[in-house]
Amino acid sequence: MTTRADAQIAARRVHGPPREEESVTAYGGFVTRTIAFAIDAAVINLTGIVVAVVVTLVFSVIPASDDLKSAVVAAGAALYVAWTIAYFVTFWTTTGQTLGNRAMRIRVARVDGTPLRPRHGLVRLIGIVVAAVPLLAGFVPILITERRRGLHDFLAGTVVRARGE
Amino acid sequence: MIGPLDVIRFGTQTGNRARAVATDSLYAATLGAIDAVLDSRIAEAAADRLLASRLAEHVVATALRGALVDTAVAAAGPNAERIADAAVDSPAAERLVARVIEGPLLDEAVARLLESEDLWILVDEIARSPAVTDAISHQGVGLADEVGGVVRRRSRRADARLEHAARRILGRGANNDHEG
Repeated sequence: MTTRADAQIAARRVHGPPREEESVTAYGGFVTRTIAFAIDAAVINLTGIVVAVVVTLVFSVIPASDDLKSAVVAAGAALYVAWTIAYFVTFWTTTGQTLGNRAMRIRVARVDGTPLRPRHGLVRLIGIVVAAVPLLAGFVPILITERRRGLHDFLAGTVVRARGE
Repeated sequence: MIGPLDVIRFGTQTGNRARAVATDSLYAATLGAIDAVLDSRIAEAAADRLLASRLAEHVVATALRGALVDTAVAAAGPNAERIADAAVDSPAAERLVARVIEGPLLDEAVARLLESEDLWILVDEIARSPAVTDAISHQGVGLADEVGGVVRRRSRRADARLEHAARRILGRGANNDHEG
């Protein structure tokens, strides 16, 4: 008689080991999340730099007044903030992973495992800023809580799940 | 007294001598003619043209395709393979190979091969083949994956160490954060 365990062993032989999506083992820690955030910051800033260079080159050949240039700089700053918000909120609410998260194999989800809604993403992003203000003290709970949650995770009701290698 | 039989015998002997002299003369004349032809430029030119023609290639190909090789091996008997192995493994064969490798022949052959346009067409075709491009892309992905794996493993070890240090400093275990 074939047991469930036998069937699982047979399936493993045929299909190989479970894919990484099926092997959630822990929660993302401080260092892993910091590296992921650094990768995201690099992507965001690199994109911003490329856009700024293109705009600067365009305005180097188009005569523009100082007022116009100031307005463009202000618009660029606003666009940069919007781009940053859109980057995080879009990735968190769609795949649950930014590019940095994907590289480090961690995923943001609600405590009950459901994906974030845009408002949760926005609250989480604001929470990151708030957590950073008091000398990064808002991130200390990541080091001492069981599920490695920072202030922003508590505010948005999220956890960061890590996937096994 | 000379009888009729003596006359007939003398006639027969004379005829035989005459035939032998004629045969020798004809033989010598034929060989001389062949030597003259072989020594001439015509023979050399004819041989060159014959070897350059497709006929020579056809003859060799037909001979190799046919039973010639099998017949030769069969004629050599069951020891043919052993003899061939012994010849290949012999020090003389090694010396011959070493001389070929060290001599100018190989350098010349390689130089001509590198100058050949066909070679670079072949290399280009191989480089663009799906098998090679797949292998290169897999190698690139594999390397990135490997580096990523190392970074992830080390970061997770660092996570654990940092948390251990933080908890020791704060003098507490992990907080239960299931409230929310």
